Amino acid sequence: MDIRFGKEGNTLIVYLDGEIDHHTSMMIRERIDSRFLMEPVKNILLDFSKVTFMDSAGIGLILGRKSKAASVGGDLKIRNPRPEIRKILKLSKIDSMIV
Amino acid sequence: MKPINKMKIEFWSISANESFARVVAASFAAQLNPSINILADIRTAVSEAVTNAILHGYPDEQGIVQMECTLYPEHIEIVIQDFGKGIDDIEKARIPLYTSRPELERSGMGFTVMETFMDSLEVQSEPNKGTKVIMTKRLI
Ligand SMILES: Nc1ncnc2c1ncn2[C@@H]1O[C@H](COP(=O)(O)OP(=O)(O)OP(=O)(O)O)[C@@H](O)[C@H]1O
Ligand SMILES: [Mg+2]
Repeated sequence: MDIRFGKEGNTLIVYLDGEIDHHTSMMIRERIDSRFLMEPVKNILLDFSKVTFMDSAGIGLILGRKSKAASVGGDLKIRNPRPEIRKILKLSKIDSMIV
Repeated sequence: MKPINKMKIEFWSISANESFARVVAASFAAQLNPSINILADIRTAVSEAVTNAILHGYPDEQGIVQMECTLYPEHIEIVIQDFGKGIDDIEKARIPLYTSRPELERSGMGFTVMETFMDSLEVQSEPNKGTKVIMTKRLI
């Protein structure tokens, strides 16, 4: 899993590249949380263009980051998930977070 | 129906093996040339079952996880087993959003994903003996 960051206004953009499972989610969580603290932002946009796999560990990761953003009055959105990831987002009833 | 192929592996309950196990299961199933959507469903379901064995089956100690795949002319059966903690109340564990570990940011969607993405799911478990998850999926 490779992570890069960008910023647009008060939104932290997180470019994820690779697979999200229980194994990788621990590192992803730490990387996003420390960056979110450092930057003067309140929203998070997860760019899923290069995410090739995600299981329910990703759902926990997304909801955890959404509540971090909510704690400073912000929100979290998801961009460009591939169809099989869209399917699990839908099953978990969080596909409304897709922009 | 008669099996046409079978394989069995075992590995340590280490989180790096989650991706290993799902790749192995999907490449075994690929022998019957299923669609990429079917293979994606298998990868996700196997990842859920193996992660549960590693995370919940062996929360404190390291143990062994087994995965057995049997190929039939039109479907695959995948059995994932641990010999760890076991589940007290299987019915409750299978309820969507139920998790015994909310502090770990678990969403409680694992069994729901397995159930939805596969054609059948059976869970057998006994406290302190372990858990066995049996899933099938039509491949063609
Ligand atoms: N192999 C297992 N050994 C012991 N307990 C298990 C096992 N598999 C599942 N469980 C129990 O069943 C519960 C529900 O499992 P499920 O996979 O649905 O959710 P989760 O693992 O808690 O969260 P998520 O999969 O969304 O990250 C777990 O919280 C755990 O208590
Ligand atoms: Mg799980």
